[in-house]
Amino acid sequence: MNKNVIRSITGIAVLFCLLWLIGLGWAVGEYYAGTPEKIPKAKTVSQVENKKGLTIVALGDSLTRGTGDETGKGYVGVLIDEIKGKTKRPVQLTNLGINGQRSNSLRKQVQETEVGRQIQRADMVLVTIGGNDLFRGGQALMDFKTGDIATIEKKYLNNLKFIFEQIRKNNPKANVFFIGLYNPFIDLDQGREMSKVVRHWNYDSAEVSASFPKIVFVPTFDLFELKVNDYLYSDKFHPNSKGYRLIAERVASLLTW
Amino acid sequence: MNKLIQNEMMKLIAKKRLIVIAIIIGVLVMLFTYAQYKQVQTQREKLGTSDWRTILQQQIVDTTNRLSSSRITDEWKKQLQISLQQQQYYLDHDINPSEPGAPTFMRIFLENSIDLFIPLMVMVIASDLVSSEHSLGSIKLLLTRPVKRWKVLLSKYLTLCLAISLIIAIAGILSYLISGLVFGYKGWGAPILTGFNVTETGLNTSEVKLMGQWKFLLMDFGLVWFVSIVVGTLSFMLSVLIRSTAAGMGVMLASLISGAILTNMVSSWESAKYFFMVNLRLTDYMKGTAPPIEGMNLSFSIQTLFVWWAVALFVSFFVFTRRDVY
Amino acid sequence: MEKKITLSVKNLKKVIGKKEIIKGLSFDLREGEVFGFLGPNGAGKTTTIRMLVGLIKPTSGTIQICGANIEDNFQEAMTNLGCIVENPELYPYLSGYNNLLHFARMLDRVGDDRIKEVTKLVGLTERIHDKVKTYSLGMRQRLGIAQALLGRPKVLILDEPTNGLDPAGIREMRQFIRFLAEEEGLSVLVSSHLLSEIQLLCDRVAIISKGSIIRTDTVHQLLANRERVIWHVQPLEKGKEVLGSLTGIDVTDDGAILTEYNEEKIPLWNKQLVEAGIAVTEMNRKMPVLEDLFLELTGGDTIE
Repeated sequence: MNKNVIRSITGIAVLFCLLWLIGLGWAVGEYYAGTPEKIPKAKTVSQVENKKGLTIVALGDSLTRGTGDETGKGYVGVLIDEIKGKTKRPVQLTNLGINGQRSNSLRKQVQETEVGRQIQRADMVLVTIGGNDLFRGGQALMDFKTGDIATIEKKYLNNLKFIFEQIRKNNPKANVFFIGLYNPFIDLDQGREMSKVVRHWNYDSAEVSASFPKIVFVPTFDLFELKVNDYLYSDKFHPNSKGYRLIAERVASLLTW
Repeated sequence: MNKLIQNEMMKLIAKKRLIVIAIIIGVLVMLFTYAQYKQVQTQREKLGTSDWRTILQQQIVDTTNRLSSSRITDEWKKQLQISLQQQQYYLDHDINPSEPGAPTFMRIFLENSIDLFIPLMVMVIASDLVSSEHSLGSIKLLLTRPVKRWKVLLSKYLTLCLAISLIIAIAGILSYLISGLVFGYKGWGAPILTGFNVTETGLNTSEVKLMGQWKFLLMDFGLVWFVSIVVGTLSFMLSVLIRSTAAGMGVMLASLISGAILTNMVSSWESAKYFFMVNLRLTDYMKGTAPPIEGMNLSFSIQTLFVWWAVALFVSFFVFTRRDVY
Repeated sequence: MEKKITLSVKNLKKVIGKKEIIKGLSFDLREGEVFGFLGPNGAGKTTTIRMLVGLIKPTSGTIQICGANIEDNFQEAMTNLGCIVENPELYPYLSGYNNLLHFARMLDRVGDDRIKEVTKLVGLTERIHDKVKTYSLGMRQRLGIAQALLGRPKVLILDEPTNGLDPAGIREMRQFIRFLAEEEGLSVLVSSHLLSEIQLLCDRVAIISKGSIIRTDTVHQLLANRERVIWHVQPLEKGKEVLGSLTGIDVTDDGAILTEYNEEKIPLWNKQLVEAGIAVTEMNRKMPVLEDLFLELTGGDTIE
């Protein structure tokens, strides 16, 4: 073994030792003394990237997420599978659904820069919202007769309008499919009264949708009307895989090529 | 002193430990590179895009959904919230938190190896520096020279510091070279955010700073080096105290692993924050993740480690210069 | 002329726990002499030697090497000392040369020339660049001596230097130690539990047992007047009578008579026996051994 080899290794080690010491000193110094600087927020991203495939953005609540589906796909997943079977173009899905989301938080979400950008480059937007506004985890069963529902619906419609405006602002061309509500409580004692509320809710939602171009209201009420328990998950609120399949098929039938 | 360090270096190099360590690091880096590559690929397949914004947005939504689950613990919830806020901050400021490239891989590799892997490598060298002289019997020759005992020990300690510096350099260089083959060698200038403050209420972003990745990396390296020196000094002390290399290694290994486990459990046991092993993840403070125990921050951890370091060094020298050698 | 004292030990004690392991040893080493340190295993030889070389701190007492106290002036004391404690445990993964270089770096003013010199002295020149793990035990022993000699010490301390060597190796080692003492003027302290070795090698011997020196003297002195003559005579009774009247006798179990060895008187005694009509069938001179002395001194303390 050469003495010079050892000497040079020692030298290199000393150099690195100093370098790491500087790093450590810097880290500590930065931690104590570093003053924050203003970091520019991202500008609204304007340019749309070149994209090859079909881009789909799904917004909304647990239905968009697919809660209750044993296969984990939800109606969005089933729909995507169907689209993939029919087209050769690559399909890109961005699922932004959040469990338990209500219209007011979706209103915030669509205002985010990045979400806006996603919508901008989308060819199709899928929305489910309102279920949590109305049913509030079953609380609706207690108070559906009171005047509260009216205030809630008013707020909801207001939010919905704003959400659609945002979507259209970002992307005037894409087809938007807005999935209506079904009544999961139809078999219960108050089912009939509840159905009335849901129908009314859907009617108003459809009205809002209709006031925008290319926003299609997709009814699901009828799908769950007859054999609701066959299509519901064990929580008796979310659809099961069969239920999701029904919704997906309905949306699929509306697609244009 | 210089001559003594040359001696220790000569022995260290002749033992070929550094080469073994380099090979271990090389193999692991290859594994991690492949794993990372696979992960990127599956993500791309799943989301149909390689656009980082889309991926990050998706991650944010996924985290949000996880947060809404009722089964998660408060601790975990807080961690998720912090990382969520952080991701959102990155997205809002249009900064890619993991710019693809070898430097980013290097950073992630460092951050993940600071509390176990690199200390382990350091231990391989530190724990037999003194005890091997005992087991070999050469300590008797070493200490019967006209050189004061503290000088002999100091030369060993300085050699350890140099070896640690080399190990970290090897880890850095190998991870850069190997991962660069897959991810490309660019990305030194990519912006990185630091200065996130985790407070009682959540994430404080008022002191966030933007810096180049190279600077951030240098700081990370400095912190990793400091942690390694502390762990190395502790192993060194054990090597002085316990004549059997294996026993010393065992003790050190046990405490390192217990540290990794403790950090996940001790959030309610506050005084556990004075253990050295829960303070090893210094780079996390730079990144801005929640500390294992409330109230811990970079300066606290550095001070705690410093105390451990000083005590270990004192004990090593005190015992070594006084002890009878049989 | 009295030769210079190189190593001086005064009232050396070591207490471990409550047990006194070494109970006040005192002895001196002079230039050019080989000093034997003899005792059974566990007598305290190793502990004493480790105190001499600074590995163990004495509880009390002083050790001076060429006038320098080992505790107050460690560096100066160690400059004049070379040692091998037990086996020469060198670094097996380094070459012989690098081992020597390693220890030379720990000494002042020891350069490449000196390394070459000692290598030649111990006859390792050909293999010096090979790794130590390829060396035979004898070669390692020689390398050990080479490293001990690097700093041109005045005092050489060798703990069991022939341990594990074959008979040829032992002889070689013995000659080499004698050479160092006689030609180079070194004081050599050799410890051993083998009497024969000490007897052949040393000028002076300290016999140590249970932590104390029982006796220190030259080998010559210790063994003087201890030579015996063994007589086999016919008839025995009459022989005893005749010899008994001339000198002190012992009778062994197998029917032989022991008398002292006296060069002048032996022929005379023989003549008298013959004149008394006694047949001397056999007459043997018995060489004295430390064994007997040792047994005598220690009262049967075990020794090999």
